[in-house]
Parts: sequence; C-alpha cells; structure tokens
Amino acid sequence: MPETQPTKRLRWLLWSLLAWTALIVVRLAWLQVVKHDELVSLARQQQQKTVEIPAARGTIFDRTGQPLAKTLPAESINVNPLKIPDPGVAADLLSRVLDLDRRTTFSRIVAAKARKTGFLWIKRKVSGEEAARVRSLKLDWVEFRAETRRYYPHGRLAAHVLGATGMTSREDIVEHGSAGLELSFDEELSGRPGLARVYKDVHQNAYDMQVTRPPEPGANLTLTIDPNLQYDAEQALAAAAVRAHARTGSLVALNPVTGEVLAMANYPAFDPNVPPRRGESLDARSNLAVATPFEPGSVFKVITLAAALETTKLTPDTMINCGNGTIKLAGRVIHDHDRYASLSMADVLAKSSNIGAIQIGLKVGEEKLYEYVRRFGFGRKTDIDLPGESAGVLRRLRDWQPSSIGSVAMGHEISATSIQLALAGAIVANGGLHVKPRLILKRQKAGGAEIIEPQEKPERVIAPETAIKMRQMMEGVVLRGTGKRAALKGYTSGGKTGSAQIYDFKAHAYTHSYNASFMGFAPVNNPQIVVAVTLVGTTGVGTGFGGAVAAPVFREVAMPALRMLDVPKDLPETTTLISSAKTNENDLAIAGLGTPPPGISESAHAVKPMREQAVSSVTTKPPVQGGSSVARSGEPANDLALNRRPFFDTKERVSLARETPSLARAAGPTVPDFRGMTLRGVLEESAATRLPVQVTGDGMARNQDPPPGSALLPGMRVRVQFAR
Amino acid sequence: MARYRSFRDADWSLLATALIISALGVLQIYSATYGTKFQDAWWKQILWVVLGVGLLWVFTSIDYHTLLAQIPVLYTLGLTALVAVLVMGRLVFGSRRWIKIFGVNFQISEFVKLVIILLVARYLSELKRDGVGLRDLLKLGVLVIIPAALVMYQPDLGTGLTYLPVLAAGVLVAGLPWRYVAVIALAGALVLPAGWFFLKDYQKARLVTFLDPSRDPRGAGYQVIQSKIAVGDGGMWGRGVTRGTQTQLRFLPVPHTDFIFSAFAEEHGFVGVVVVLGLYFLLLMQIVQNAQMAPDRAGMYICMGVAALLLFHLLVNAGMVVGIMPVTGIPLPLMSSGGSNTFSVFMMLGLVNNVRLRRFSA
Repeated sequence: MPETQPTKRLRWLLWSLLAWTALIVVRLAWLQVVKHDELVSLARQQQQKTVEIPAARGTIFDRTGQPLAKTLPAESINVNPLKIPDPGVAADLLSRVLDLDRRTTFSRIVAAKARKTGFLWIKRKVSGEEAARVRSLKLDWVEFRAETRRYYPHGRLAAHVLGATGMTSREDIVEHGSAGLELSFDEELSGRPGLARVYKDVHQNAYDMQVTRPPEPGANLTLTIDPNLQYDAEQALAAAAVRAHARTGSLVALNPVTGEVLAMANYPAFDPNVPPRRGESLDARSNLAVATPFEPGSVFKVITLAAALETTKLTPDTMINCGNGTIKLAGRVIHDHDRYASLSMADVLAKSSNIGAIQIGLKVGEEKLYEYVRRFGFGRKTDIDLPGESAGVLRRLRDWQPSSIGSVAMGHEISATSIQLALAGAIVANGGLHVKPRLILKRQKAGGAEIIEPQEKPERVIAPETAIKMRQMMEGVVLRGTGKRAALKGYTSGGKTGSAQIYDFKAHAYTHSYNASFMGFAPVNNPQIVVAVTLVGTTGVGTGFGGAVAAPVFREVAMPALRMLDVPKDLPETTTLISSAKTNENDLAIAGLGTPPPGISESAHAVKPMREQAVSSVTTKPPVQGGSSVARSGEPANDLALNRRPFFDTKERVSLARETPSLARAAGPTVPDFRGMTLRGVLEESAATRLPVQVTGDGMARNQDPPPGSALLPGMRVRVQFAR
Repeated sequence: MARYRSFRDADWSLLATALIISALGVLQIYSATYGTKFQDAWWKQILWVVLGVGLLWVFTSIDYHTLLAQIPVLYTLGLTALVAVLVMGRLVFGSRRWIKIFGVNFQISEFVKLVIILLVARYLSELKRDGVGLRDLLKLGVLVIIPAALVMYQPDLGTGLTYLPVLAAGVLVAGLPWRYVAVIALAGALVLPAGWFFLKDYQKARLVTFLDPSRDPRGAGYQVIQSKIAVGDGGMWGRGVTRGTQTQLRFLPVPHTDFIFSAFAEEHGFVGVVVVLGLYFLLLMQIVQNAQMAPDRAGMYICMGVAALLLFHLLVNAGMVVGIMPVTGIPLPLMSSGGSNTFSVFMMLGLVNNVRLRRFSA
C-alpha cells in the first residue's frame, strides 16, 4: 500500500486539528476557570432581581388606644399588556368592572404594548368587591398584587395632625407620609422593607423567591390626642367659623403642665382617605395651627402685662392713664375702641384697652418687652413634631420703629401661630414654665417595648407669683371683661380675647375682617387645660370679635375637656355667670345668634352623645345645638359626601343614553336572558348588544330586571344580580 | 474475496465510546429540557440511539464496495431528495429542512453526508495517478458543492458547510499539490479570519445573521453571550444536573440541541467538558486508526471522511459555544437531541466498522 504520502498528510492534518481542539480547550479554561466569577455575576445579574418586600406601616393610635391611622391589606390589579389579545376588549372589560375611563385605559394598554412592557398597573388598591369581580372574569393577562392601603378609620378626625400618605410615583410600592405626623415620623412608621431575591427566567417570569431579609414593620405611635375632645374641638371650631363667616380657623387644646396636645383642630378640614384631586387647592390640608401665623392682637396684652409685673413696679391695682381714648406715640395718634380716662391694670386687660396696654408697654421698655416676647416663645418654633411649622414673625429689636413698642404691646407688628399662643397661655397656667408641646405619648417598635416619650425639662419664663397674678387678671376678662362668653358652668376660667383687623398687604390698608382669637385656661387656680382658638376673616364689628366668636369655642372645648380629665368643679353648678354679667356689645352677638344664656347648659349636655359618635362615625351630622345657625354648620361637610353620588349617577345615565341613540328612538330593545351567564359573558353580551347593564355581586347571573324578553325603555339599565 | 466477517472483529471500543457519549447526551437532554415542553426529548433520544445502533449494524453488513459501486444512483437520489425538500419540505422558522416520510420528519441533508463521504472516497480511490490535479479538484469540488449549495439554500448554512471538510480532508490526503493547498489556504486564511477578527461583536453578529438569518430570531450576539455566560457559570466542577441556572431559566437558547455543549459545560464544569472532549478525541482516534488499517484507499477515504466530518461538527459546535466560531447551528454529534443527526452519525460509524471488518480481505 503506497500509504507514505497520505499518512504524512494525515499527520499534518491531525496536528492542525489538534491545535484547534487545544484552542477550544484553552478557551474553555479561560471562560470556566479564569473568567468564572465575572460570568457568574453576569448570569446572576440577568437571572436575579432583588426586590423590596414592603413593611407594614405602623399604626397611629389616639391616647385611648383606638387607631387613628392604620394599614389594611389591599389588592392592586395589573395586566401583562403583551398577553392581551385585543386591547379594545380588555379596555372594555376593565373599564366596566373597575369603573375606569375606557378611552384612557385603552390608550394606556396600547402604549404599553407598543413599549413591549410586560407590566402595567390598571388600578391600585381596589376594593375587595372589585377584585372579586375581576377575578371572576378569569383573564390570564390580569395579575393581582397584594399591597397595603393606609386607612383613617375616623376620616376627618385629627386629619391635620395625622397628615396623609401617598405614592409619589406609579412605581412606588409603599405609601409615604406626605403631611402631618405621617410625614415627620415617616421613617419610623415605614419600618424597613425586607429584601427578597427573585429568580426569573428569560421571559421575566418569576421562578423562585428567597427572602434574604424579612421586612421590619414600622413602629406604632400613640398620640396625646384625645379623640372625643378632638371631635368636640373640630365641631365647635367649624360651627363658630360658619357662624362668623370666617375663612379659616385653628384651635389647640393642651395640658399646660405636660404640654400634651389633647386636641388640634383646623377649619376647613379634609378627609385623608381621599387623595387630593388634580388642581384641588391644598389650603384645607394645611395645618394652620402650626403652619400659618397671624397677628394675635389683644391676646398679646397678656405678655405685655406679664412683663410689666416682672420688670416694673406695676401691680394689678395700679391705675393706668388711658388718655381718654387717644395717645400720641412717635408722631402717630392711636385711638382706643372705648374712651377710658384711667383703668386699673387688671381692667386694662379685662376691657382690653389698647392705650392702657401701650402705656404699660412703654413702662416695660423695648428691650424688656422684646425679651419677654421671646421668652414666651414667640418668633421661634415650638419644635412640635409636625412638619412645616412656622416660627411666626417677631422683628429683631434693631428693626423696630419708634412706634413699634406700642404695636407690639397690643399684639401688632408680630405674628404667631395658635400653638405658640396655646403655649404662651400654658406658661401663665402652669406657673411660669415654657413646656415643649407633645404629640407623641409613646412609641412602640415592632416586637419592642413601648417607649414613653420623655418629657423635656421646661424652662422658666416668669415667676410663679407673676403667673398667679396673671391668672387672676385673666379671670377678670371672663368675669367682667371682653371674654364673658368664655365662662364655664361649674368651673372658673381665665383668658384673653383678641380681635386684630386683617391688614391687606396689597392694598396697604386694614380690611374690615378680623383675626378673632381667644386664649384661655380653666380652672383658674389649678389650670388643667389651655385652649387657644383663632378664627381668621371674621366680619362684623363686635360680632366678628374674639369675645363673640372665639370665646364660645373655648367654652365648648374646655367644658368636655375638664369633664374628660375629671377635674373637680370649683364653682357651684347653679351659678350662671353670664346672666349676672353686665351686658356689653358681645351680648348683642349672643342674641343675634339666638342662643339664650341657658343654652350653655344645653350645649354642655349635647356634648355627651356627640362624643360617642366621634368614635363611630365622624361624618354624621352634629346634633342640633341651640339654633339653626349651628345646625347649618355641619352641612358643607355632608354636602360633599352626599352630593357626590347623585352627581355621578346622572352623568353616567346621560352617557349611557347617548350610547344608545337608535335604541332610544325605537320602542326599546328586547332584553336578552342573562341568567346563568358568567360576568364576562354578560359584559360581552351587553357590549355586543349595546345594552346598558348594571351588575351586582359575583358568581353566576341569577336574576335580572327587567326580565328576559321585555322591552328596555330608553335610559333604563338591565340590572343583573350575580350570586355563587 | 473471502467474505470472512467475525462478530469479534467489530470495533467494540469504538461503539463503546460512541455509546458513552450518547449516554452523556441523553442525561444532558434530560436536564436541559426538564420542565419544558421538550420534556420527553430524552427518552426519544434513547430511541434514536437504539435505532442508530441498528442502522450501524446495517451499514456494517453491506460491503462498502457495494455501496461505492452504487454511487451514481445514490448521488442522484440524494440530489433528488434535496430538491424535493426545497419544493415540499416543512417550513420551520423560515427554512425548509425536513420532509415527512411515513409520518416521520427526516432531515435529508444529514443522510446526504453519507453520500458525500462515499462519493469522495470513490472518486479519489479511482484516480489513475498519484496526487490530485486541478481538473480532478474542480470536478470533485463541483460534485460536492451542488448538494452543499442545495442545503445552504434551504437555508441551512451549517449543514451545507459540513460537506466541505469531507472534500478537503480527502483531497489533502490524496495528495493535492502543496501549492494548491497553499493557494486555497491562503485565500481562506486571508478572507475569512482577517475579516472576522477586524469586525466588532455586533458586526460579527450581523454577518452571521446575514449569512444565516433563520437560525437567529433574536440576534446572534445574544445567543453567543448567553452561551459564554453559561459556560463560565459552570466553573471548574459545574452546577450539577438540572442545576445550571442559565439552562434551567431558559437564557440559553436550544440547550438540548445546538447548545447542548454549553448546557453540559454549565452543569458539569471544566472537568466534565474535558472528559467529554477526551471521549471525542478517543472516538476520532479510533476512526483514524481504522483509516490507517483500511484494506484499500477507498476504505481509508471513507474513514477519513467520517473523521473529518465529525471533527468539523465538534470543532464548529464547541467553537460556537465558547464564542470563537460564528453561530451556525450544527449539532454536536451523538449528544444533541435529534433523530436524523443521530442516525447519520451511527450510519457513518457503521461505515467505519464496515471498513474495519474487511481489512483482511483485500
């Protein structure tokens, strides 16, 4: 066999091919040994995804232990647009079952399909009924995701304190606080989301999941807010605001010793369960009590007089020259509302004499007055645990005009929030200490012990004797001055009214509307409750003043508060101070409102059932209290809730009627037999026949109205009842 | 001619090697298709192997000289079948490769390989003088390229290309003058790799996509990347049967057919791959040994043709898996799932055994 040449060639061939094989082996070694780690991480990158497992948001309780904000499980519905065979049908089905706009749904699905996205939210946090209905359609491109939903069981109650939660983007998994305590304690309430490693295949389908870190639920917060008092405060404030045609109002009720805020109310209010609509004014969502300062006016005379007691030789009995109603100060002539020749210092406060206050202020002097205003907490934040707090405005001493001392002495050229006023009141009430306001009673981490919030050491502002003298003088305001309507049944009380004309910065002039305020406490000798009320934009000389508008709110809040705190009465029950009091212009206001003096006791009794309702439902109409004007106050809120349904109903009917113009002209189409069909079948049938259908329940169609075969009159709908 | 054939003389070690590789293939098919719609591919593969062994025996029994004598008929039959595939074949993913005979889909191009091997063997063994002249080269080249072109037109570039190494190995061994070899090699070496290595990854992908679009519905680059990741993921010892994530999570395309080597590499690691490559090396060496012991030139050319074809499959497939060859999509012999390819490989091994059994009869 002449195989020498072929075998030589063969060897050549073999060697070169072996070289190739060697190359492959080297390459394999390179990939599998050298680049192993790098390629493994590449593989993990495309196969695994770390996802967050949302942690349950902590519950917010009121001081009685009832939840004010809690997290409920909710289901969200999304679709896989790539699996949707016909976007038209999909949009039809989903919009009907989930009450969505068909056109928007359709265009969103089409857009997602074009983007080749396998995921599209259809509706987040649907009701259980909606989820069940979608389930019964048995569509393979619909997915359900378990999520959580923040729920405020009492609706508007303490809404401004609680704030609200929301999702900033569609992709968010959990809600975050957007206002109030939900915002300031967001981190604690949120807890820490868990982490899970999801293995997914090339089609992005999750294949396996491994929890690498379990979620840590958020901490629970217990507030100092008393739900019943909060309810009373909100009702009283809203009623007063409506009565006085006020634009806004705010109220703070707190324990003067501990600084615990028992109630914090604002008008107007909002329901945190309802997310703000696009373009809706957010004014109602602002916590005015801490965020919006106003000119306090005469309420501020309390600070001027307290400073005077501490820094001058003036005593409550010292007569002050009130200049017959006019004073010239740094070239400005200031008029008083009444002409007083001279008044005792106590009466300056009781009658709220502006000239008297200016004279006292001048005696104190700019520097001392500024110092005391500062020490009383004005011009700085109270550091309450709420976002967006305003420090108010207190001009620095060197920015003061020569006439500023007069203005500041009677509460002008300065602005303060209701919480600041309440804390200033607390200084007088608790014997001279500036306490820090507290909203959080205790907090509890998931699985941890309850931590009672420590109380900060209060700082002394005025001497206890000064505080006692101030309390007595402030009692005089209620007994014989401008604050008679703040008198309580069975308890002594003290306070100070304020009515500042609102300055229009655009027009550079004072308007004819007022900041009507009242800051008071009870009982006088051992105050247990301080309430500061402000109504902004009240109108009417006298009727829009603090004594007429704000003082009754104090009474309506302080009475239930004292009862709730079980404070022993320090006055005989039968004493009715108001009837014995001298009539002044404020009594006209009372008469005008149609509330006779004995009405106080009426309202006091009416509070009881109201408090019980506070827990069950906040949106119920408040009990009629004294006059029709009060009853009216509850209406705006109810109107919102009640009117919405009929409005949408009519709209829906109109659109349905428009859909079937040809049918409407005829005697009416014949109703098919829906019974025994699935929800999907009914919807498809109704889409095909263009018959408007209203479905209830889920399962199989059991009943229908009108019955099969009868004619459907224009504007009517076929009601189909489903049952399992 | 004494027609002494003994059962004992058959190449048992060759068959054993082939069956071991086949068994590894079945295991890998089982793992790669675990939980997919191809789940039953592994026992089908067992069936193909059993039938393949039967075919091996058939192709051992018929004297290869008889087959060589019938080459004109077989060649014509092959061409007719290839044309028939083009006309009435089943269209799958934009290419016609299969034809249904008695309810079974056959990939004709796989069986034509045998015809090519026999054709080249007969042509070269009947050369009157030593060495291959230009005329012979051209004549044989045309004969081989016609069926190859028909296959490429299906389109099935990969399988069409497998005919060429049979021709190349044959003429090289037959004594193609070095200058022709040099010219062809130079031309090839200049045009193909030079162009290849200057291209960027996506251009390579595009080139391959251009040459063979049907193989590549989602981008050739994607398949190569996923394959490389799978191989690298395997590491030294592999992830274990049904544990390869690239394979199990379907990132690896067709892990039971064309990319079975990369699935194997992921699940059995570098060690497993080297063992398999060693088995293939053993197999090829056994075939080459048979070539060297062949009773005549025709027998030698048959064995060489088989070895060249299998080696080409192995190198192109493994090269593709590790990313040094373009994605052409030819199966890994004996491992990839599929009836036609398994049959044709066992038939080729039958031819090798055929030559061996007749080594003393010349």
